Amino acid sequence: MTARSVALVGGTTTRFGVRPTTWSEMAQEVGAALFRAVPELRAEDVDSLFVGAAEPERFAFQSHVAPLAAEQMGLRPTNILQRTELACASGQSAIRSAYAAIAAGLSDIAVAVGVEKMNLPSMAEANSAMGCVMDRPWDGASGATAPPFFAMVAQRHMLEYGTTEDQLAAVSEKNHRFANSNPHAQFYEKSFPREKLLRLPVIAPPLRLGDCSSMTDGAAAVVLAGEEFVRRYTDTAAWVRGTGQYSDFHNLSNAGSLTDWVGLKHASRNALQRAKITVRDLDLAEVHDCFTISEIIEYEALGLCEAGRGGEFAADGRGEVGGDLVVNPRGGLLGCGHPLGATGIGQAVEVFQQFTHTVPSTRQAPDPEWALVHNLSGSANVHSVMVYQRGGAS
Amino acid sequence: MTSGARPRQRPSSRLAPPPNPPSAEASPNPAGPPAPPRSSEKRPFLLDFFPLETDKETRLSRFYDRLREGRLSTTRCAKDDLLHWPPRTACPKCHTEELTWVDLPERGRVYAFSAVLVGAPLGMEADVPFAVGLVDLEGVPLRLFGRIEGKPWSALKVGETVHVEPYDIGDGRFFYRFRAVES
Repeated sequence: MTARSVALVGGTTTRFGVRPTTWSEMAQEVGAALFRAVPELRAEDVDSLFVGAAEPERFAFQSHVAPLAAEQMGLRPTNILQRTELACASGQSAIRSAYAAIAAGLSDIAVAVGVEKMNLPSMAEANSAMGCVMDRPWDGASGATAPPFFAMVAQRHMLEYGTTEDQLAAVSEKNHRFANSNPHAQFYEKSFPREKLLRLPVIAPPLRLGDCSSMTDGAAAVVLAGEEFVRRYTDTAAWVRGTGQYSDFHNLSNAGSLTDWVGLKHASRNALQRAKITVRDLDLAEVHDCFTISEIIEYEALGLCEAGRGGEFAADGRGEVGGDLVVNPRGGLLGCGHPLGATGIGQAVEVFQQFTHTVPSTRQAPDPEWALVHNLSGSANVHSVMVYQRGGAS
Repeated sequence: MTSGARPRQRPSSRLAPPPNPPSAEASPNPAGPPAPPRSSEKRPFLLDFFPLETDKETRLSRFYDRLREGRLSTTRCAKDDLLHWPPRTACPKCHTEELTWVDLPERGRVYAFSAVLVGAPLGMEADVPFAVGLVDLEGVPLRLFGRIEGKPWSALKVGETVHVEPYDIGDGRFFYRFRAVES
């Protein structure tokens, strides 16, 4: 493919957490932060805006959020303005749409922003919003939300491979430790040693509170530019080298194996092939740890270890700084919280900051060149993957 | 599947009004928080998980009509010899809209299960804790997700037998649930 090369040239994130602020205010906040983080960015140069937002209708009683976000951020897009919705992967959808638009020559400089407000006065209403991510009149009517579904995934993985609660907790311990050094994380400066995690209440058996990412408010934004514009913003960029996506079911009844994530195998293989690298070349990965069991199966489906050995991969520290590669140095969804539309963008911000060595040394991957970002959405029925390479402004 | 729809009483503690119930109008400060509404209480469409079921609202009304009679059914494409779940109006393989309705087996085995202990959606808070699971129906290549009743989640086992039965939502609509039959 001879499409124009595209790079991520800067980005920022708000504090993630239970925020005393609204959807629109977070869009303003992240817009202001973006112009501080990318000082050369001028509003009039941003020709396109892609807004990752999963459920503003349910969480913020607001539709038509793309122009709303543009107004809050002080942008007047002239080429493409749209919202991208793919539940938990809405943020990455915004980035891959911006990438596609720039590669196709329909945009030169685009902003991808993700905003989600999830903490409501009534958490039962918020849980209802999560329930309609599933096939609502079938799975939702039976009481399905993410925790019981991923709990069944964990149950099957334990049954088929002997994965233990302690191995699940190893994932949570690692990601919370990374979040400890991330002032934007929901669980910044909070300590979760394994013995504490194993005593937290059960949410959906066998998953405990520490196995589950949170309902989180937050926003994040990145700037993408066509190759001839990159040097205007940065000396070191995160070049988009590959993308892949795969969806094979929606209704939970059609999930097939709960432990073999075929969709992630397809999506990551496609993304890595386009980047002309293998999984062994990766220095860091931001993967979708909505639950501890997710990260364990992602190790396996990405090919970092054999099927069934993801628990050992976690317990042996192979995803730590100094391990095979650094997995979720930002703190993951477990440590940062999971504001659906903002998550994928927050992960991309981490990749840029890792490439530019602007994260604390405790979570800095050693001289990273290749990074993979993965989001699943819904019941792991969709997998979205992007591969970035550190490089200079061409 | 039971031979007929059996509207079941839920535990009376959840349904019965408190002694000397204060009138909502008469007492602006009732003692304690209001009880969460039960699933069947009429709620705005956008907060109601259960589907609209009549032939004025869905082309799958026959599924709910049969459910009311105690039969779990779905659509089948004769050309592809393909059984669908959930029931459909067009075959996902050959896209024909000429589908037939067939009854499904009433027995199945639990493939995986968990339970909702906290974080239930609106209208389901009073049901907590409740078990949910994926059930392999006997003799057909279908694995259905649904609630599992009949015993506490902590007593359920992967592989155990459950029966499917109609669940009376309480407002004229029906859904399906599973019931553990082993002691």
